[in-house]
Amino acid sequence: MKKITIPIGPQHPALKEPISLRMTIEGEVVKDADVRLGYNHRGLEKLAENKTYIQNIYLMERICGICSHSHTTCYVQAVEKLCGLEVPRRGLYIRMLVCELERIHSHLLWLGVAAHEAGFDSLFMYTWRDREVVMDLLEIISGNRVHYAINTIGGVRRDVNENQKEKILEGIKFLKMRTEYYTNLGTTEPTFVVRITKVGMLPKEKAIALCAVGPTLRASGVASDIRKDDPYAAYSEIPFELCTANTCDVLGRVVVRVKELVESYKIVEYIINNLPQGDIKVRAPRKVQPAEVVSRYEAPRGENIHYVKSNGTDKPERLKVRAPTLANYPATIEMLKNCFVADIPLIFAAIDPCVCCAERFVELKDIRKGTSKVLSMADIRRKYKYNEIKKDFVWPL
Amino acid sequence: MNQQELIERIKTELGDKIVEISSPAERRVFLTVTGENLVDTVKKLRDSFDFYHLSTITGMDTLSSFEILYHLANKLCCLTVRVSIDRNNPEIMTICDVIPGAILYEREIQDLLGIVVKNIPDPRPLVLPDDWEKGNYPLRKDWNYQAPEEKIPGENK
Repeated sequence: MKKITIPIGPQHPALKEPISLRMTIEGEVVKDADVRLGYNHRGLEKLAENKTYIQNIYLMERICGICSHSHTTCYVQAVEKLCGLEVPRRGLYIRMLVCELERIHSHLLWLGVAAHEAGFDSLFMYTWRDREVVMDLLEIISGNRVHYAINTIGGVRRDVNENQKEKILEGIKFLKMRTEYYTNLGTTEPTFVVRITKVGMLPKEKAIALCAVGPTLRASGVASDIRKDDPYAAYSEIPFELCTANTCDVLGRVVVRVKELVESYKIVEYIINNLPQGDIKVRAPRKVQPAEVVSRYEAPRGENIHYVKSNGTDKPERLKVRAPTLANYPATIEMLKNCFVADIPLIFAAIDPCVCCAERFVELKDIRKGTSKVLSMADIRRKYKYNEIKKDFVWPL
Repeated sequence: MNQQELIERIKTELGDKIVEISSPAERRVFLTVTGENLVDTVKKLRDSFDFYHLSTITGMDTLSSFEILYHLANKLCCLTVRVSIDRNNPEIMTICDVIPGAILYEREIQDLLGIVVKNIPDPRPLVLPDDWEKGNYPLRKDWNYQAPEEKIPGENK
């Protein structure tokens, strides 16, 4: 049979973010897959070299709209190590509280997307409705639903009071009940289980060789979690289970994430009930002595790693960010091989891809002049507005 | 095995390949080797010390040379292998034969720093456009863009 290459993306109804997947298919079977990145590259690493350590917190927060707290935590704990700061325990606990609430909201979001891709839209509606509960809790704590802006170098910016604690426990109680319902529903609804079983197989050896991370790796039977392997904040004090599955397919990834939801509820309850007293932050110096630090963090999607090198000024010499999705792409290509065309969105969604995390640049190229430049959003707006006026454009309304 | 024992064992196993080894913090080890010994070192670390996981590769321009940092991890610690290469002749061997998951990171340093990764299985650009001008490497410290002068319509000057 003749092999045909079909492009999926960069703009495609099945993808929520711009990425180009090129599939070589033979009939209905995918024989080879290729991924082309760069449609969302924003130049954050270069930009970070021109901003101060405090300004970079805001930049890191905006790498991603879902795991925004992951990137800031990873970054601030690197800078805290560079400065030799000891963060107060209450600060660390509040940081972990937001971490876990973020994990809950990300996993609920993902569960909905996976259900949607599998054609189970009622579950999608349910999980996204329940996700609002945790979004509201995050708003109660930080004042924001998406970019919580709770981290600062040396601790956190907002404290948690008794009233908020009560509301969090109430919300978690509700979510626990709902998750139990999803667990029953997801494991007993035969159409859903059959749809995701043996889809997107990733054997254990391949997962290790291709350096997969997070739930993708754990669903292939590898017990690896940065919270256990390389405990940051105060995770060494918190009792929780590492969740794995050994089915190596999309079902395994669902199971791992649902189990992690339950563990996260327990962690949140533990944090609220054992919140230490004291300060929430210490003062940080503006300039940082020359040094280098590797900081690792278990984001909802897997291992997030930042490398920060300082040079004695108030700006970093180099800031390297590697988000979990980039690490999972080689494994995704492996999963897509020999699958059916209809499984592509499901398999791709199963790694919980976050394209904007994996890429950090935007460069615009002027084809007519043959020049290229890094533009800010304000520049783009201005340019666009200018062209619009120049052409005397009238909206066809 | 604790971290100190690990460092001692690495010292005996790798011998004179090590230029420098240090442990600035708990669960963090920095190891410097020369470019020629990189692949052998990574292979040895993988086979004898279970460093199967490559977290990422950081490329860095120090103006006198390029530094490439391979962040490896096992259950015990995160080990960074540092390699310095000549800035005028930036070449390094691929480690994809040892760790296949390194491919995207090697393509990224090729794109952004202009380091030539020899024997790389897939040399296409990763993040920069296909028609990106040759010789423009954004993460090099001497790469600069002069922002064009702002023209705000309606403002007469």
